Amino acid sequence: MSTEISAPAAAAHASAHKLFSLRRTWAIASNTFRDLVRQKVFYFMLVFALILIGVSLTLASISFQGQLQTVMDVCLGAMSVFTMLLAVLATAMLLPKDMEDRTLYTILAKPVSRFEYLVGKLAGVTMILLVATLLMTAAFLVVLHFWQGREIENLQITEPAERAAATIKLIKSGTFTPTLFGGIGVIFLRSVVCAALTLMLSCFATSWLFTVIVSLMVILAGHLVPIARSVWQGPVGAAEAPFHIAILLRLITVFVPDMQLFNVVDDIAVGMTIEADVFLRIAGLGAGYVLVYLFVGWLFFAWREL
Amino acid sequence: MIGTGVSAEVLKRMDAPAITIENLTKEFTNPSIFSRGKITAVDGLSLTVEAGHVYGLLGPNGSGKSTTMKIVLGLVVPTSGRTCIFGRDSRDVESREAVGFLPENPYFYKFLTGAETLDFYGKLCGLGGKMLRDRSRELLALVGLESAADRRVGGYSKGMLQRIGLAQALVQDPRLLVLDEPTAGVDPAGSHEIRDLILRLKQRGITVLLCSHLLSQVQEICDRIGIMNHGKLVREGPLDDLISIENQTELTLENVSPALLAELRERAEAGGARVLGAHKPQQNLERYFLDVTAEKK
Repeated sequence: MSTEISAPAAAAHASAHKLFSLRRTWAIASNTFRDLVRQKVFYFMLVFALILIGVSLTLASISFQGQLQTVMDVCLGAMSVFTMLLAVLATAMLLPKDMEDRTLYTILAKPVSRFEYLVGKLAGVTMILLVATLLMTAAFLVVLHFWQGREIENLQITEPAERAAATIKLIKSGTFTPTLFGGIGVIFLRSVVCAALTLMLSCFATSWLFTVIVSLMVILAGHLVPIARSVWQGPVGAAEAPFHIAILLRLITVFVPDMQLFNVVDDIAVGMTIEADVFLRIAGLGAGYVLVYLFVGWLFFAWREL
Repeated sequence: MIGTGVSAEVLKRMDAPAITIENLTKEFTNPSIFSRGKITAVDGLSLTVEAGHVYGLLGPNGSGKSTTMKIVLGLVVPTSGRTCIFGRDSRDVESREAVGFLPENPYFYKFLTGAETLDFYGKLCGLGGKMLRDRSRELLALVGLESAADRRVGGYSKGMLQRIGLAQALVQDPRLLVLDEPTAGVDPAGSHEIRDLILRLKQRGITVLLCSHLLSQVQEICDRIGIMNHGKLVREGPLDDLISIENQTELTLENVSPALLAELRERAEAGGARVLGAHKPQQNLERYFLDVTAEKK
């Protein structure tokens, strides 16, 4: 060890403390991103790549019409599942690990508020999800481009020139559409909602396993929200649900994210066009879910004994 | 505001004690499902740590030291009572601008290198750019980790973790340093260096709150101590006052002959004093160990 201590080198930083500092939040976010990257979370991309190769090989061996649609369907489905799983698994570890390793003590003993810590963690996971979505999108587009070319070639061989030209025009205009990219955006937003939900649950959970299981259950239950809503809002004249069931269903519709909202991706996969205002509504509701989960998570975390 | 542009509030805080603890009580709910009672970790604790002092908070395991530290750092909410850091309530995040903390057996992000670790903690304190880079370099040199700056913390030994922990605690040049067992797992040479470092920090006017079971080390560096047991402060005061034996005096002589020693004994007894013993003073084991290991280098 050196025996010299210089004059206060850092004293100059003393300035008015901000309640919320982007610099501190960014430090936590970038550190979380680096943590997850160095934990090799992107290895799951290999599995995604294998699925893409598997789909391509399978389709190549069985020739039928609509291969392009099948590729789109399988790839968007795989992207949805992978981003959701990544969001839950990566987020569930963050808080318990910091608490177990006591790194949380050293972070919160600095002038960092618990809200900044949570926002930083969520921002870090969001960055990981963004990079993962972009990588998967790049791989997906390459495969889609390949199958588009293949389908066009098939048409040129099997169909009369005029009919083929019209169909090729349709394929070209209907493959790389704004709706497709909007759908990928919805997949990303859904994964961020899942991450915010998982972070909220980990704010009061005692183990990461509990967080993972409950998060996945809530996400599954989220697909039933429209059914729950239709029961307690039931049509006039229909038999009313018992009081306690109605209360339970109301709570589910309030606190469980409506995952059906994001199922426009299924419609996009089968070639439907979605209007911009639908995407905007989904973006607004998704952002609302994220903010609510972040706030509720902070309420739990602010009073948690460390 | 005063003419110099410094508010009266700020000046008041400059003069305030480093730590003020008033009637602090902390109860935890018993986690057992069979007995839902409360566990009192800290019971009506009041103490003050003056700025510039090295204060030793001692006590057996479970005596409430760590809980007290956590409350001072705002990590745990007290059941009742209040703690302040330089006059500011320690529940205010802002109060931690002035504090550096090294927890017992610290772990840091394993994937970060030593330099990146200091960079991360520096940014949390609002530092950046060249100032942070210079500060990191200086601190790595201070704790003897210059050569390990680019190694991942996951590969550090326990002693190295303790050193990087000390460096992160010092990153924003705090006025108060809270150290929980700073020499746990560190070899005698490292432990000696940490002790010297604490003394040098004290010379610079930095207040240190130290929790340690190494009582010999506490005795060497602390101005004042508090002893906790079962959540209560059972003894508190300047170290010399607490451990001095008022009615005894030690006299250390060099090159004394047996005859002179006998004469001294006779004269002491004639003067009404009782000689309790005469023996050769010993250096402590730590000093001996350090000398021997230094020779081998």
